[in-house]
Amino acid sequence: MNIGFLNPALLWGLLAAAIPVAIHLFFRRRPRPTPFPAIDFILRARRETQRRLRIRKVLLFTARTLLLAAAALAIARPRAERPGEAAAAIAVGPRATAIVLDASGSMRYRLDGRALFERARADALGALAALGPDEPATAVVCGADTPAAEPPGFDRGAVRRVLEGAEVWAGHADLTACVGAAVRALASSEAQARLAKHVVVATDLTASAWRLDVPPPAIEGPEGRVLPEVTVQDAARGAPLPNLAVVALDAEPDPAAGPRGYRITAAVSSAAGEARKDVSLQLSAGAGPGAKTAIRAFVDLPAGGTVRKALSYAFPQGGPAVLQVALPEDSLAMDDARALALVVPREVRALVVDGAPSPVRYRDEAYFVESALASPASPVRPTLVDAEALAGEDLAKYDVVFLLNVRSVGAKAAELERFVENGGGLFLSVGDEVDPEAYGRELGKLLPMPLHVVKTAANPGDGSARAARFADVAWDHPALSVFTGDAREGLLGVRTFRYVLAKPSQKGAPATVLASFDDGAPALVEGRRGKGRVLLFTSSADRDWTDWPIRTSFLPAMQRFAGFLAGALEERHDRALVVGAQRTIRLEPGERLVSLLGPDGRERGEAELERMGLGEGDDGGLVVTPREPGLWQVKVQAEGRGERVEPRLAFSVSPDPRESDTRRLAPDELTAYFGGASHAKVEGDAQAVGGGRSIPLWSILLVLAVAAFFLEGLLIA
Amino acid sequence: MPDPKRPLLDPAVLAKLGTLKLRVRAVTEGILSGLHKSPHHGQSVEFAEHKEYSPGDEIRHIDWKAYGKFDKYYVKRFEQETNLRAYLVVDASGSMGYRGAPERLTKLEYASSLAASLGYLLVRQQDAAGLVLVQGHVAGAIPPRASASHLGPVVEALEAAKPEGETRLAAAVDWVIEHAPRRSSVIVFSDLFDRDDRIVKKLAQLGRRKHEVTIFHVLDPAELEFPFDDPTLFLSMEDERQVEAHGRDVRKGYLEVMQRWLEETKRTAAEADVDYALCRTDRPLDEVILPFLARRERSAA
Repeated sequence: MNIGFLNPALLWGLLAAAIPVAIHLFFRRRPRPTPFPAIDFILRARRETQRRLRIRKVLLFTARTLLLAAAALAIARPRAERPGEAAAAIAVGPRATAIVLDASGSMRYRLDGRALFERARADALGALAALGPDEPATAVVCGADTPAAEPPGFDRGAVRRVLEGAEVWAGHADLTACVGAAVRALASSEAQARLAKHVVVATDLTASAWRLDVPPPAIEGPEGRVLPEVTVQDAARGAPLPNLAVVALDAEPDPAAGPRGYRITAAVSSAAGEARKDVSLQLSAGAGPGAKTAIRAFVDLPAGGTVRKALSYAFPQGGPAVLQVALPEDSLAMDDARALALVVPREVRALVVDGAPSPVRYRDEAYFVESALASPASPVRPTLVDAEALAGEDLAKYDVVFLLNVRSVGAKAAELERFVENGGGLFLSVGDEVDPEAYGRELGKLLPMPLHVVKTAANPGDGSARAARFADVAWDHPALSVFTGDAREGLLGVRTFRYVLAKPSQKGAPATVLASFDDGAPALVEGRRGKGRVLLFTSSADRDWTDWPIRTSFLPAMQRFAGFLAGALEERHDRALVVGAQRTIRLEPGERLVSLLGPDGRERGEAELERMGLGEGDDGGLVVTPREPGLWQVKVQAEGRGERVEPRLAFSVSPDPRESDTRRLAPDELTAYFGGASHAKVEGDAQAVGGGRSIPLWSILLVLAVAAFFLEGLLIA
Repeated sequence: MPDPKRPLLDPAVLAKLGTLKLRVRAVTEGILSGLHKSPHHGQSVEFAEHKEYSPGDEIRHIDWKAYGKFDKYYVKRFEQETNLRAYLVVDASGSMGYRGAPERLTKLEYASSLAASLGYLLVRQQDAAGLVLVQGHVAGAIPPRASASHLGPVVEALEAAKPEGETRLAAAVDWVIEHAPRRSSVIVFSDLFDRDDRIVKKLAQLGRRKHEVTIFHVLDPAELEFPFDDPTLFLSMEDERQVEAHGRDVRKGYLEVMQRWLEETKRTAAEADVDYALCRTDRPLDEVILPFLARRERSAA
């Protein structure tokens, strides 16, 4: 029978048992001298009660000392362990030992105020200290790096340094692979071939760390495969590890939530043994001290299940932004929150030039475009002018210009060219007012493809049978990527009766056909001119040549076109960048990476960035491998400007969802995997099959302390 | 709490009166104002009853007026003249100097007030009162006399008495036996904390010599209730003994021992036909004196 303590450091509390003695010795009150005539009676009374008083005093003393000592011992959590039959079956003698220390994310779980990793490290060091002088040892830290171990040696100091220097990381670790590496290390030394092989695994027994569907590690010897002895030290001591985690976070634009509205979906999982109701979920926007709570919600979690919670949030302004969804902090804090860095489309100022105005609104050339752009959830703010008024407009005030069936821009053509060259966007649609040849002369430099002739596929009155339809749509193009699933029907069902055929593009002015008609003629063509973009739609923007304006796809398409042309569609999501994965940081020309600000707010300078694997990526960006989950911010220095944290470069890192699943393996399952009770045992678990059986002495001590408390009260009364 | 009707009899009020004389005056005035129908109406000249003459009766006591009325001889009978001699034995040992609270009288002051008041009342009804002061031995004695002028020295002697020495009432018993030639009343004022456990029996010896013995057992409330809670070093008031005890620990035992002792003292007194009265020094003096006087009156009748 061995007595062990879960929290041996708390044994200092035993000193409290000396308090009653100290009080008795040092704080004894001096008796007050008082003349009293009936002193004989006091003497007689004392003689009669002295024995009883002395016994009472001793009992009182004992009760007080016992109360403090029992409470202090109970806090240290003593356990009496009786080695079981399996322990007896394991051969005794010199063994080569490999100690595997689990440093995966779930080991950050705090049980009774202490991280499981620290307990496991103490277990591993204890196992090392228990080895005999003739037993060689090695250690494997099962964490971020590929598991590897030196052959067992007698340099205990080196093994201790490996264990003491180990750090728990936030990612996943494959314990099966680590035990395999340990067994290979044990088998690698021919000099120790005769020694029995022993593997000690200090872990939390979470099921996700093991792959029990592969053969157990074994040592090939002259007498065939030999299974090593395996001792699993359960750092959780048999306790369940309930855990709530945000396992996924995604944000999609949601026009229903208003301009810059997003639908944020968080997946929350529970590895708890019981269902939880009304778990608080908090959505905050912003990073660092400026972060503010946007939404508080509640979720009901089934036992061991995952639920998805959708929240709508509209950003007050466009640009780079950070979102964070957090649960109340629990024992495994690293997965209680997830962050997401994204770029919210900023407001687009659009000038819509109406080439064929009409007093009847729905016959107006710009009616449908303007309605689409000015809808309540639109990030676009359109300004409508007719072709004559274009000459008086200052284009510098706009991000995008829509030329809708404009016969001629006249002298404004040169300014339009400059506007596009400097980063502006231009949308062109044609119609009855447009002469393709004149257009080619006037706006030739801007057109992605030169216009040729007007083609009539059918007359609007002839029915839809011969009308042209969109085909070969570049669905992955940012401007069209919103059309997914059934939404694509809204685009593919568009009937176009007349359109302008385009000639192949000239050299040096490449054009991308985003959609073409079913006869192969380009329908939607993108071209780049300088820093700007041009989109050409070869049909009309009203219902004269096509029925697109009355299709459901028209409104989102126009808004997306405006966003794309203004360069405001670069939505960026940190999808599934898990701890340990490489992150590419793309700096603008002239920018220099200074440091990274981690989730803890600490700045990682050059030396630390090198340890994080900072290097050149294949596509020109800088790559780094962050190992802490949370929001990372990038500090850069640009030419002529000081150092600053660049919001557009912020990125989030998520913990590995496998580490959030803290459901534990049954000890007998693990011992069975390693060859049964004759080869393996799990220590530190009350339910260990075939292993030691332990009695939680602390509960007895607590009962004793309570009894002492009542006895003390009784004696005082 | 002083009695609003008799403020001068309350010990707390008496304690504020500087001298014993003032206290005696306050006590006796208080008592006399309460005796509206005093049983002390007759001295030896008071007529009591008529009795038919029989041979042997004094002829000079024949009531001739009654003979004129009834034609029979009737003899006048009078209250028998009693010239009582009372010895006031006051214990002035060290233990009598105790008071449990500063606002109370010491036991000696209380006993002195009692003795002096009784002395005054006795002298006022023509009885003789003397004083015996005991401090381990008889420290002073004033023979009994029935004159009012005699009361002055008694009060002065009581006032001058300082509590010291040990309690040894046997010395007083011996003194009274030696100096009281005829039947007397011996009134003892003491806490009875005598080394001799059988002191009450010793006092009862006086009864066998036809003396009438009364014990006023004067005790402080603190001695009866033991109100000590803290660790205390108890110092003897009569010798060098001292004992350290936690008040809370010994209270129960002390009260048991005290109760046993009081019961035994009372029982012994009753067996020996000794009049016994327990006097708490926080009780008004008339509560002690009036019952005593009433008892005396009953026994005289």
